[in-house]
Amino acid sequence: MENKKDGVNRRSFLKAAMASTLAAGAALTPAFLSAGRFQSDSLQVWSCGGLSEAFTKVNSLYEQRNGIQIHYTGAFAAALGKSLLGGAVTEVFAGRVLQLAQNLRTADKMLYFRPLCFTEYVIITPLGNPAGIEFIQDLARPGVRIILPLGASPPGGDAIMGILKKANIEKAVLANTIEKESCVIKMLPEIINGQGMASIVERRLTRMAQFAGKVEVLPIPETLFPSGPLTFTIGVMKYAQDRALADDYVNFICSDEAQTIFEQQGFIPATSEKGRILVEKLGVKDVYSK
Amino acid sequence: MSTQNETTKTGAFFLLKARRFVQLAMLAVLGQWSFYGIFRCPFLVPFVNCQVCPVITCWGRITSYFWGFWLFLPLSVLFVGRAFCGWLCPGGFVNQMIGKVAFAKLRVRNRLTKFALLGMGIGLLIVLFLWIGLHNPRSIVPIRIGEFWNSIRLSFEHASLFWLVRTFVVLGLVSAGLLVANLWCRFACPTGALLELFKDAAIFRVFKTSACNDCDVCLRNCEMGTRPDEANCTNCGDCMKTCPVNAIKFGRQE
Repeated sequence: MENKKDGVNRRSFLKAAMASTLAAGAALTPAFLSAGRFQSDSLQVWSCGGLSEAFTKVNSLYEQRNGIQIHYTGAFAAALGKSLLGGAVTEVFAGRVLQLAQNLRTADKMLYFRPLCFTEYVIITPLGNPAGIEFIQDLARPGVRIILPLGASPPGGDAIMGILKKANIEKAVLANTIEKESCVIKMLPEIINGQGMASIVERRLTRMAQFAGKVEVLPIPETLFPSGPLTFTIGVMKYAQDRALADDYVNFICSDEAQTIFEQQGFIPATSEKGRILVEKLGVKDVYSK
Repeated sequence: MSTQNETTKTGAFFLLKARRFVQLAMLAVLGQWSFYGIFRCPFLVPFVNCQVCPVITCWGRITSYFWGFWLFLPLSVLFVGRAFCGWLCPGGFVNQMIGKVAFAKLRVRNRLTKFALLGMGIGLLIVLFLWIGLHNPRSIVPIRIGEFWNSIRLSFEHASLFWLVRTFVVLGLVSAGLLVANLWCRFACPTGALLELFKDAAIFRVFKTSACNDCDVCLRNCEMGTRPDEANCTNCGDCMKTCPVNAIKFGRQE
């Protein structure tokens, strides 16, 4: 039998066809799987702006795994909440302050919510801690140059004033305050470059890529924290077009894998041991759940 | 007497085409940053605090535009004066396109156009006061990351009065370009005013030679309503093809 000299032979053709089929299958599997599991191929998610860095990462993971597109907006939770209590619409909402989630539930805008994570406040100083700060009371020492984000959107300034009042040092610290910033992110470089010797921020700020490792971080006793701004919840809104997809997304965000990312970004995961204690202590429960 | 490195009149028509091409390219490169500056920047003065801005997706923050731009701008003034306005600024391009359908071109030399230039100075003083005097306060809750229309809607919905006034003044003055061509660039732009202050130090420029007979043909063709090397000249080069006595040159004026 005469061999064919040009073109591809049958074996090569079959190999190439098989490889192409496998490659195409691998590429399309997430889309097919999601198409089978969910009716929609996208999900609209709104969250508190402080969670934006963490959500950007976990959303990217979810999109890669499931072939679902997440349309994400991160902004001041109270503003988003106000819009949602008005006429705005989203499918999943992760807000700060338990009361906001409860208000959305009682207004029948949210189907359910779960505890997501918690924030905590810390003292920051420039590297080397030039003022020798050890405890929060040291902020009241004469001559310590303090910069505080007192003009930041709530709970920013209010939460910090709450901490200082509980520590009974607010007057002395305000006397030491050389600048009241309107934006906490804009304030950080002023601490890094030594213009200010200390400030109080949420730990998440110290984990942002542009600030990580550039300030000293000192703990503040939890007993001084105001309870309101500590809590973040995540819930499915009644506008979710594909309830199964929204539920799956919320389950993923609350999974150990996603919660690890929230922890890396400076939050206390709700599923961690400390988080479970805070859930009980702060009563982060959807009392309307059946 | 003039000149070295002169361009020829025959090349001037090509110059306009080249300028439009560069403007379109810069609109693609800097346009998104400009958009963020007007609609998404939480600070009263945009483009000056990008390195510490909470808006994650702004191109001024996630790229090196911020540092690159503020290093490039003084250099460009040193070499070619206000050429940034005429060749590179996305806002300038938009204003020039709006100006093409403007009710009045106002390309004349009179007391009105002379005193209207003060508007740029006032704009610059206001910006310097907000930026340096008031430490450029944040005036809206930033939409740190978000969809296009949702973000704009939320920005306006939750903006402070200061931010609303600032934004509507800017949008209003740009829109007024439908009444008077290039009104924003000619009589209001703070950046233009800043460049105007230093443009006399430029090494290269478009200028009039002693052959100029003050016929003002160049002025009537200028999008900025001016003459070469006078206030508001951006070295765009459009006038080079219009001079009936070939008195307009580009190069080093001696």
